[in-house]
Amino acid sequence: MEQIIESVNLILLSGPAVLLPENPLYQLLLLLLITLGGVLITISVHLIPVGGAPAAMAQATGVGTGTTQLAAGAGLTGLLVAVSIYLLSENPLLCILLGGIGSAIMIAIVMLVSNIGYIYGIGITPASGKAVRDPITKDRQDIYVSKGTEGHGIPTAAFFSGIAGGIVGGIGGSLIFVALLKATGLPTAATALTMPDAVILSIALFFINSVIASYNIGGTIEGFYDPKFKKLPKAAIVSAIITFICGILCLFIMIQFAGFGLMEEFA
Amino acid sequence: MDPLIGMGVLALIGAAAAVAGYTEDLESVVGSQSNPNSQVQLAPQMKYPHRLFNKAISGEPLSNGLAAVVGAVVASSFSFTGLSTLTLIVIGSLAAMLIHMILSTTSFFGRIASQSRFKQPIYMDVFKDNLPVIAAYAFMTTACVLIICTLMTSFLEILLPIPLLAFILGITVGSIGSSVGDIQYGAERLYQNLEFGSGINAAYSGNIVRKAESGIRSGIDNSWFSSKFGGPTTGLAFAGVLFMTSWITVLFNPEWGNAVGWLGFIAGILFIAATIFINRKLETSARRNFGPYREEEKTEIVE
Repeated sequence: MEQIIESVNLILLSGPAVLLPENPLYQLLLLLLITLGGVLITISVHLIPVGGAPAAMAQATGVGTGTTQLAAGAGLTGLLVAVSIYLLSENPLLCILLGGIGSAIMIAIVMLVSNIGYIYGIGITPASGKAVRDPITKDRQDIYVSKGTEGHGIPTAAFFSGIAGGIVGGIGGSLIFVALLKATGLPTAATALTMPDAVILSIALFFINSVIASYNIGGTIEGFYDPKFKKLPKAAIVSAIITFICGILCLFIMIQFAGFGLMEEFA
Repeated sequence: MDPLIGMGVLALIGAAAAVAGYTEDLESVVGSQSNPNSQVQLAPQMKYPHRLFNKAISGEPLSNGLAAVVGAVVASSFSFTGLSTLTLIVIGSLAAMLIHMILSTTSFFGRIASQSRFKQPIYMDVFKDNLPVIAAYAFMTTACVLIICTLMTSFLEILLPIPLLAFILGITVGSIGSSVGDIQYGAERLYQNLEFGSGINAAYSGNIVRKAESGIRSGIDNSWFSSKFGGPTTGLAFAGVLFMTSWITVLFNPEWGNAVGWLGFIAGILFIAATIFINRKLETSARRNFGPYREEEKTEIVE
């Protein structure tokens, strides 16, 4: 705590020149990183297999919940891991990559336990309704789909797709989080004070991008082999534009907070 | 931090998370909140009036996130009184429970009243019987989430404000409860009149079972059924998520050097590979034991 107070004092004594962005190029780079993070989140929502409400009645392939809900759950788990890593090591690369791993672990456990539920609770085999053969294992899928449904459970290809989506989404969320923290220009010892704001803004950008992706895929998607996955470029462009605009606002908020919030606290 | 103490704290977090997941799923089953709610909502329109509690405050993650945040805010704002942490958690959870009860009430009456043109009556005894159960489960979920938050901030050194941490964990527990536990409720319990071992044919939508083991079915009967499989699997999943994500940073603490942090990265990848392997084994065993729904020879492959 003493270290934090010392560093804050140092910044306050040296004037607002340190607090405000000295170099606009640095902030532009951060803005581009935030935009990249937003696009990664949109890609991740397209990769995670979600069946929406029909999947809860074993009528569609994928995890039985909404796209935004599942992506947010996974992304926030990854963000939590990223926060704890950042507090422990201050190594941005490790923080971003482990955020991705945290998301992937959440998605992997959810898909595995969902499959246990489908197989032992309902007595059905995981089967895809969109592909005749599983793109990875080459197993026949269509004869394992029960009557009147569009597949059920999470077959191996969708499982792989989900894990890839978890990694990509977690990396995107953690990237936004790290970029927002770096925007303040404060030394790492003082980041604990600006961290809650960075986390809230990352969550906001996460939700914005998952909703954009949800509109694009319209409720259900099975993963990278689903025909709807081809609509990805449209969503990526929209997401890049929105994240760029929101990123400017987020950077303003972070710089403002670092300037005034800390001054009030330690005046 | 001593890794041994860290593992102990992790075990406590896992235990609290298991209870949180279990109660979260049962709460959504009693009130038929999550995705299977579409069937409960559809039933009167298909001329099957029922005596189930029908509330869908919002998606499960947001509803649980709201309860957790309300609990955490109330608990932290009472911290000036100098009461013990456990008492604060109880006060916070009580406040969250009251808010949840208000939302459940308005949601129940609003949803059922909107179905009056389909001759769905508002049963006051259903409301009075089910609401205390919903409140009790909501209280348990919020209390467990707040216990996890306290353990994380005091021992695992995650220095986030408790309401923010509670929001993240509330969203996560809702997301897991919505995706894992409700499958058994939606695909098995609501359609026990159909043959076991098949997805629900879309033609049967809304034709939910309305008779219980004894008498007419209510949400409490459903929670009895889900408590045997859907609830425990949700608890298992939430505990697994929190344990496995924290385990990486506790056992391979990056504070001891970046190389240790990268070891944690490798451990995470190995764990994910293990889940892929287990899932594949499950899938092949299910295909072998259950068999296909139609004969392979009679169908033509269209690729």
